[in-house]
Formats: sequence, C-alpha cells, structure tokens
Amino acid sequence: MIYLDHSATSFPKPEPVYTFMDRLYRSHGVNPGRSGFDLSIEAGQLVQQTRELLTGLFGGDDPDRLCFGYNATDALNLAIRGLVGAGDHVVTTTLEHNSVLRPLHQLEQQGGVAVDRVPCDASGFVDPDDIAGRLRPNTRLVVVNHASNVIGTVQPVAAIGARCREAGVPLLLDASQSAGVVPIDIDQLGVDVVVFTGHKALQGPTGIGGLYVREGIEIGLTRGGGTGVRSATRGHLAEYPYRLEYGTINLHGVAGLNAGVRWVQERGVEQIHAREMELLTMLRDGVSDLGGVTTYCQDDLADHIGVFLFNINGFEAGATSPLFDVDHDIACRTGLHCAPLIHEQLGTTKIGGAIRLSVGPLNTEQDITAAIVAVADIASMRN
Amino acid sequence: MATLDFNGRPLELNEHDFLADPDEWSPEVARLLARETEGVDELGPDHWKLIEFIRDFYGEHGLAPMIRVLCKRTRLKLKYVYELFPSGPALGACKVAGLPNADGCI
Repeated sequence: MIYLDHSATSFPKPEPVYTFMDRLYRSHGVNPGRSGFDLSIEAGQLVQQTRELLTGLFGGDDPDRLCFGYNATDALNLAIRGLVGAGDHVVTTTLEHNSVLRPLHQLEQQGGVAVDRVPCDASGFVDPDDIAGRLRPNTRLVVVNHASNVIGTVQPVAAIGARCREAGVPLLLDASQSAGVVPIDIDQLGVDVVVFTGHKALQGPTGIGGLYVREGIEIGLTRGGGTGVRSATRGHLAEYPYRLEYGTINLHGVAGLNAGVRWVQERGVEQIHAREMELLTMLRDGVSDLGGVTTYCQDDLADHIGVFLFNINGFEAGATSPLFDVDHDIACRTGLHCAPLIHEQLGTTKIGGAIRLSVGPLNTEQDITAAIVAVADIASMRN
Repeated sequence: MATLDFNGRPLELNEHDFLADPDEWSPEVARLLARETEGVDELGPDHWKLIEFIRDFYGEHGLAPMIRVLCKRTRLKLKYVYELFPSGPALGACKVAGLPNADGCI
C-alpha cells in the first residue's frame, strides 16, 4: 500500500520506534517512578528524559512543565477548560480541528463563554491584526492551529504571539500537525502553551500526547487522580508535571515517542520539512497539470506542510476513497477531516468535503507518481 | 416514496431507490431497476457476476460486501464497476441486486 494519510497518523513508523517500544516494554514495563525498585526508577528516568527531549524541541526551559496526556485532544481539553471560565472570551480561527472547536462550543453552550472564530483569507492564512482586533478586556485565551490538517497552511504564529503578548492574553498553539515537521520555539513565537500529539510528525505511537506550559501560566485543575507522589495530599497536586497528569503514564507510548523524537532530531526538523515539501510540490504540480481537478490553497506552497487538498470534478469526495484504495492501493482521507469550519469556508461541505493526500518523510517519488496516475485515472471517469 | 411500473403493478422504492420490499426482487425486477434508476439498458455477464455475488454475500452475512471484498472476489476493477453501475457498487450494484440498503458496502 502507498500510504498518503500521514496527517491522520504517520505510518509506518521509523524502525527504531518499533524496536525501542518492544525492547523497553519487555525490559522495563513497570509503573514508572511509582516505586523504589530499580526498574521503576529507570522507567521514570525514561519518562523524564522524554520530557527533556520535547522541552528542547519546543524551546522550553523546564522539563517539569512538559506534561503527558493521551493525545492532542486530551491536552487541548485540559488547557482550554483550565484557562477559561464563565464570563470569559476566547478568540480562535476557522482552521481549527474539532479538538478545539468542540470544547469551545461546549463552553459556549454550558459555561457562558463567548468565542470569536477568525476566518482565514483565500490562501488559508489568518491575519494577526484580525485576531488582535477581536481581543476584548475579558479575552482569556487565543487558540491557534499552527499547521492546518486540511489545507496545510502554517499560520504566522510569531506575529499572532506578539499581539497576544502586547494584550496580555495567553496564546495556546495546537501543534498537532506541526510538531516534528515545523520548527517551534515558544519564546520566538510568543506561545504560552503548546499542545502536541505523539503519533503524527513526531513519529511515535497513538495514545500519547501532551502539552508544554510556559512558566507564569497556571492551568486550572479540571481533573484529579493518582500522581505517584505525596499520596496523603487530599487534593490533586498543584505543581507541574503532576498538575496536568492523572494516573499511570502510558509508558510504552512514551517510549515510542522518545524513539520518534530522537529519530526526528537526528534527521532535523527543517530537513524533514524540506523533503516533504519536495514531494508535495511534485504532487501539486503533477495533479494540477491533469485538468478536471480543483485544488484548495495549494497555489503558493510557502509556509505549508505536506498536505494536498483537492477534489476530482464530478465526484463527491467520499466516492473517490475506495477508488484510490481498491484500484490503486493508495490510502488517502476524504471528507471534512474533523475541521468543519474551514470546509464551510472553502465551500466544500456540500460536496462531502475534499480529498486529502498527506506525505511523510518516508514517502518516495514513486509514491507520488503513483498518486498522480491514480488521480488521472479516477478523473478520466468523469471528464 | 417512488414507484416503478412492473408489468402493470406498482413496485415501491425507498428514498434511496432501493426496493421497499426486497422479497419483490427477481431477475426481471433487476433489469427494470437497472434501466430506470441506473440508465443501464442491458445487464451483461459482469453485471450478473456482481449481482449474484452481492446477493450471495448478503444471504450469508446479512450485509452488503465491502467494496474491496467485492472487487477482489469478482476480480473486477472498481473503476469498471462504476462503468457497469454508474452510481457505484453501493448505490448502484447493491440496489439492482435487490438489497434493502448498502450497509457494509464501504
């Protein structure tokens, strides 16, 4: 199979991820840091080392403020619900995934929170001044999608961060698609909380994600549970990382993420991005030359990740997925990609969304050629 | 609910043009459904190969076959299935095969 669904999850993982997970879980599959025996201490050290790796990747300086959760949705819920309450106002964008849109919608419906959703321009970029213009005295949070899982555009976060700093409003960055493929330095970008998932460009497994919280930002407690330390304390611990971690950590997830991040760092985030953009450019050029195809926000690939969104004229998006799969053995994703507002803005909702091909660092030119041939073949059925 | 005229009596279809009563299906009804809902005037051997496989699979499993299974077992490319049934395997072939819906044909 030719796998072009890396925005959903990267697959296959780099070989060291599989081997390290297997080895670690066989040798150290105990509760990390909960007990005093050597294996538990060593497993805890792996967790701490992974905090350090990720803290470094995001330009942070305190690994204890790197907290693990299940995935980006989990971490976004922790951050949003812990920073926003009744009477508050939030600014976000139409590019957001449902992992942001739905918690905010719930808060709007149940918690008396007001939300502004800033649209992007026709090229897929949000204007930082548009965000700044929506800020109110009671704005408690700005949430911005770093790189779109739908159209692939990378937002001008540094400019957005500067405006948020000026206004004294925390900026929460959803780096689900960008962590591991776009450099992130929270100081340079003016980001206060960055949320990541392990199973995409960081090349780890599913079931592990988290957030880094800058010093000075205190996310309110919305859960409680075991931390493995100071068990006599009645309430959940206030200090990081325990503040945002509940119950036993997904150790083999952390192990895979550890190996994935090391793999990414060995190759270099910029180099991985450059490789993916080579492949995306080849795909965009090849498909655009075919005719009978409509592309979305792919004209200028500057500030982009390897996500290609298009439709084949005459087809509802979903009808093409089995054609890619069965006739061409290509994995793609069709539909609304859990990001309904951007599809509304693109006008694709009424035709069932669009087709997304997303490349990864292990794809080849042959994969892209096969994808172009597949699009041509499917397009020939209606044109 | 739409109806088709089948030898002088009404044949009821559901909102997706599938037979309202799958027990009404017969090869003659299949030809009528193909003509009136798919614009296919004549059912050839490959049409029948698909129809028979879908009916056999449904009889055994109570669901339409997955598209990958359908193509693999009939050795037909999906693009060709669309040529045979313009609405595709789910909304075209399963309908002409007399299934009540295309559940499972994903």
